[in-house]
Amino acid sequence: MKRYAVRNLRMCTKDCLCLFVCPTGATDTENSVIDKTKCIGCGACADACPAKAISLVPYAYPPQQPKTPQVITALHYLGRSKASAESAALRLAEAAGDGMYRLMKGIAASERILGADLMREAGYMLPQSENTRAFLQNIQHDPDYADLPADTVNRLLELLYPDDTE
Amino acid sequence: MKSVCQVCGFVYDETVEKIPFSELPDDWTCPLCGAGKQEFAAEKKEPESIVPQIEFGEEHLKLSAGQLSALCANLSRACEKQYLAEEADLFKQLGEYFASKAPVPADADADELAAILRSDLAAYPAVRAVTDANADRGAARSLVWGEKVQRMVSSLADRFLREGAAFTKDTEVWVCTACGFIWIGDEAPEQCPVCKVPSWKFEKMQGRKTA
Repeated sequence: MKRYAVRNLRMCTKDCLCLFVCPTGATDTENSVIDKTKCIGCGACADACPAKAISLVPYAYPPQQPKTPQVITALHYLGRSKASAESAALRLAEAAGDGMYRLMKGIAASERILGADLMREAGYMLPQSENTRAFLQNIQHDPDYADLPADTVNRLLELLYPDDTE
Repeated sequence: MKSVCQVCGFVYDETVEKIPFSELPDDWTCPLCGAGKQEFAAEKKEPESIVPQIEFGEEHLKLSAGQLSALCANLSRACEKQYLAEEADLFKQLGEYFASKAPVPADADADELAAILRSDLAAYPAVRAVTDANADRGAARSLVWGEKVQRMVSSLADRFLREGAAFTKDTEVWVCTACGFIWIGDEAPEQCPVCKVPSWKFEKMQGRKTA
């Protein structure tokens, strides 16, 4: 599997061993992001990094675990009330004093994270998956979202599925 | 007798603690996650066998604008984890678009919020029965965490109904960015009581910006 190296800035302790071992100079950048165009995926930097801040990720991801329609429907059932709870909490935050404002913002943030997790498990773990592609393609024809930002959707399709011939 | 916190799993053992659980003061909270006394249940020897059934109809396949926004938030986070900065930002923008399409409740109603949260929490065993019957490990894991987090959120909304927001007045509200667990306290906990990530994964809720 063809891979390239990425650096987690949060963990990088600037020991710079990646600079010593990289055969192509891909780790030598001003913005601390490893140059994907130079990286050959050898993994020498990840092995040498004492902070374990570098990992190798694949260019292409494997197909995801299949999800049954029963599981998807049951997860969406919960997802719907999470979204309603998020809206209700945000509405309360708007009307609130400081203590209540922060509490309601917290509840809304929590419901958002739970809702996003349910979506991940309902078949949308990978942005590069068939499910995500179908979502991005179909949503453009949904009359409820006629003013959808088309440029944003098209750019995502272009970036995530570069092999599409459409 | 032992009482178990239904949020984080902390066990209060009367034989060790000396004070019977029922005699603890009403404002006593779980030492691990801060959940209220009412979130504790007596330790069960046998798991419950009767799970309430819910009919999960196909009408739930049509996603609401709020759900589409959560979907984009999930994909944005997945791109971020893959270090795909531009894609992460584009999904974030798309998520904001769908959020703007979500219907806003006419009134700010705390009873309504608490009711949604209670009914959502009550649905977990039925949803879990479906994922178990379909041997879906990933979904089951996410539901185990989700139910604990939702129990905490629901208990906070109920507490707010009883006593208002005074309990957050001189302290902070923290949200675990990994699992959504809410912690009320001056500092974030060293480790999330639900999903075990370190304290820096917690986000402090900022007060309203004053112009």
